[in-house]
This record gives sequence, structure tokens and C-alpha cells, in this order.
Amino acid sequence: MAIHRENIKDCFVQEGKMALPNQYFAGRVGSRFIIALRDKKKILGVKCDKCNKVFVPPREYCERCMSRLDENWVELSNEGVITNYTVVHYNDKHLPRKAPYILALIKLDGADTPFPHIVEDLDPGKVTIGMKVKAVFAKETTNTIMDLDHFEPV
Amino acid sequence: MAKYYGVAVEDIFNTMEERFRREGAKGVDALFGYNISGEGGGKWQVTVKDENLRVEKTEGTLEGCSVMLNADAETFVGVTIGKIDAGEAFSSGKISVDGDIGLLTNVLPKIFTKFTPPAKDVIPKDIIDSMEDRFRADKAEGVDMTIGYDLTGENGGKWSAKIKDQTCKIEEGLVPDCTVTLQMDAKIFVGLNLGLIDGTAAFTSGKVKIEGDMGAAATSAALFEKFQVAGAEEAEELISLKCVPSIDERFATGPVMARWFEGLKEKKFYATKCPKCGRTQIPPREICANCRVRCTEFVELGPKATVTYIDTVYYASPDPLTGSIRETPYAGVYVMLDGATEEENFVHELKKEEFDRIKPGMRVRPVWAEKRTGGFRDLLYFEIDD
Repeated sequence: MAIHRENIKDCFVQEGKMALPNQYFAGRVGSRFIIALRDKKKILGVKCDKCNKVFVPPREYCERCMSRLDENWVELSNEGVITNYTVVHYNDKHLPRKAPYILALIKLDGADTPFPHIVEDLDPGKVTIGMKVKAVFAKETTNTIMDLDHFEPV
Repeated sequence: MAKYYGVAVEDIFNTMEERFRREGAKGVDALFGYNISGEGGGKWQVTVKDENLRVEKTEGTLEGCSVMLNADAETFVGVTIGKIDAGEAFSSGKISVDGDIGLLTNVLPKIFTKFTPPAKDVIPKDIIDSMEDRFRADKAEGVDMTIGYDLTGENGGKWSAKIKDQTCKIEEGLVPDCTVTLQMDAKIFVGLNLGLIDGTAAFTSGKVKIEGDMGAAATSAALFEKFQVAGAEEAEELISLKCVPSIDERFATGPVMARWFEGLKEKKFYATKCPKCGRTQIPPREICANCRVRCTEFVELGPKATVTYIDTVYYASPDPLTGSIRETPYAGVYVMLDGATEEENFVHELKKEEFDRIKPGMRVRPVWAEKRTGGFRDLLYFEIDD
């Protein structure tokens, strides 16, 4: 039973599945953000008074001056402007929508950072930078960022 | 005993001993006087000297105190547990201080850890009694069911919750036509309602028995607001998500491992044999790592084997193939298959029922799967050969 490099007739592939039990903790700041989406249909950000910047999604510290921000919440508008986008053209089971769909960076009115989300009710060929969009909240909530279901053109 | 916010004045003084921090009392030599008026009040003297503490209740006058605090019982308790703002109580005259106020504001917090009111033990009746108030009519449209609670053990009892026409009514005892009956220990019921026990885990481990419509049991949770311990501060809701992603895997055997898997299909253990040192490697490998030469010869080992070592596993790790938690304990056995060269152990699982009987040196035989596909599950486990 000699092995030769060319002797590959016995080779085969084992198919399998690996399950990875996972737990994700949203943190205090992340939890408050998602709870506001879920219960109040509101998008919350945090403001750094020193840098005069509003961050969304909220974070605990200012990335510029390291000030603590988690006590300085601001309510943002549910409308904003697309500052950049991409169109997703492939399907995979972990993706939130069937291709093609628009994934855009949206600068909400009152925020200084763009916020990535899905844009629907719009032909992927028609999306443009500067387009005004508004948030549509999920009917069935899941305690995730998808409680804000998508954005659509105003 | 009069209580304010669930706490008696005496509770605060009685716990001073255990809240005393010796290191915080270094260099402090002071006599604190407390003159607490009103129901449940009294006079106390607290002496801190040479890193020692003495707390006394006194009937006489408070004399020679370094500082004396006067307050009514409610204000004193309120300030201590943080329900009343100390500054406000002071400026409104509800608290007055004679002597060195700095001792109270600066020194006292260093000497004692903060007083925390003892948690009241929640009993099932508290939870059941609050169900009608916690009922969410808006979620119960079209719901018509009766949930029976059969709680055993201390503080247990039997109750029924009738949900119909968007109302919820609690009755003592189990009504005969329950849609679903939940049976569990009273402690488990309390734990579940306080969020200390995971519902799914309690059910799968058999701590909660559900009779009747399982679906009804699952939907009923959404019909009620979360139970809150009376007087407790509302807990901050924190979001934590659990999920078990399943990842597709492909393993290309290559020619050598392929021979091994083909062997398992035929109930055979194939090893490679090193042409230089003669050692057998199992599972087979292309190269002898000791001699660094290619192994081209396959030999058959076993099928019976001798146990060299046993690993009993008590840690409930998840099974990577399913994501579910493995049942413990189980044992892994290290065996020398007949014909294997020294130290060439092979590791596999031992029959579950035999793990407390197994000893090194025992003979074992493989147990094969009925339907073998050329995978590692073709070999189920080893069992004692007797």
C-alpha cells in the first residue's frame, strides 16, 4: 500500500458543521441605544461638549479628547442624508437582505458621524449621495440594531 | 420596630461592627453621638479609637462627643441609604450637627462601608399576587388560556391564572381545565421571575415540568411585565444576545487520512509504520516526525486494546458539532491498540455507563456504528472487554 503523491484516488472531503455558542453583551451604552430604538422609536447619540461633536451609534468615550460621554445623551432626528453607499450584490446566509440591496452611510440630522444602515424602497441604480432618507422602525423587535429596520427615501 | 424605607434605625447601628474598616480608622480618635428622635429612634455612642470600634445604645445624655448628630428617625435612615439628600436635610434643618462636622462628612465614610438594606426574601405569593397588575392587556388580544402553577417546597402552593377577554384573574388552587400546568419548586419559580435562572435551562434540566400546551407556556411570558421586587430600584435593562451560529466545514482528508477513514468504514484501524524506527502512528501520518522520513507502509492495529490512561470530564463544554452542552461526566480513554509500538496511544471516548468501572490496564474493544460512512463517528466508543 505505497503512497505516491499522484495516488489521490482515495482522497475525499468530509463535510461538517461547527456550532459556536456565542453571547454578545451590548454594554450599558449600547443597551440604552437599542432600548430607545425598540421602545421609543428614537435614535440616540452622545455629545462631546468639548469637541462639539455628536456621535452615533453612541459610545462611552470621545475618540478625540477621551472625555466620558455616557451621561450626555442627545436625541437625533429620524431623518438624514446619504453620505456614501455600496450595493451588495451577493447572497449569503448571514446577510440581512437578499441581493441586491443598498448599504448606506447616513448622516442623521444633528449627528456628526455617519451611521451605516440598509436603504430600501429605492432602486439600487438610483441611489445618490446627498439623498434624504428617513428611518423605518421594525414592527417585531429583536433587541438588535435591526429594531431600526431600514431607511427609505423621504 | 418602626421601619423607614424598609430599614430600622437599629439595623444601621447593629451592622456597624461588620461594616467597620480597620484601615480606614487609622489615627482616628473620636466619639460620635447620635440623637435620633421619633419612633424607632434613640441615643447611640460610637467610639473609634486605636483602630477599634465600640457601638453602644445609651439611655443617658450624650456627653463629651467629638461630634453629635441630631435627626428624626426617618431622615436618618433616608440619608443613610441614600433616599434623602444629606445636604438638603442639613440645610432644611432636619439634621443638625454639634461639634466637628468634618468627622461626619470626611472621616465617617472612610471608617464604614456603605449600609445596604437587606434584600427581602421574595416568596411565590408576592409574584402571583402582582400578576394581575403586571398583566399586559394589549398583548393578550384573542388569548384564552388558563395557566396552572403547582409550586412545591417551602412557600409553595397552587394557583391558576385565567386569561380571557384581555383580562387576567388569579385563583387559589388548580382549576381542573388548565391549558397548561407548570410544576416546579417554589425556589425555582422565584429564581425564574427574578431573572436569576434561565427558563430554557430550567426546563431542559427537568427542574420545570410543563403539562399541557407547551406553546401556551411559551407565549404566556410575553403577557406580563417583568416582576420587580417592591422597593427595589428598577434595574437598568441591559441587552445580551445569545446565538449559536453554525459554520459549514469541509475537511479534505488527503491520501493518508483517507486510508484511515476507509479503514473505519471496514471496522479496521490502519496505522502508518516508519521504515526507519518502526513506530506505528495512529491516526496515520505521512511523515515520521522522529526520523523525518516518509512512511509508506500501512499496518492494521487492534481491534482490541489496553487502557493506559483515563480522563474523566466534569466540565460541561459545548459540543462543537451541535452547540448543545454535553452531558457530564464522561470519560476519554487513552488506549494502546494491539500491535501498536510503545507510547503510540490512541484517544477516544469510553462507553458512558462504564466510566466509573474503568481502570488502567483493562482490556477494551471498539463499538462500531451500524451505518458507517467513513467518518470519525464510525467508531462510537470503546467498551470493557470482559
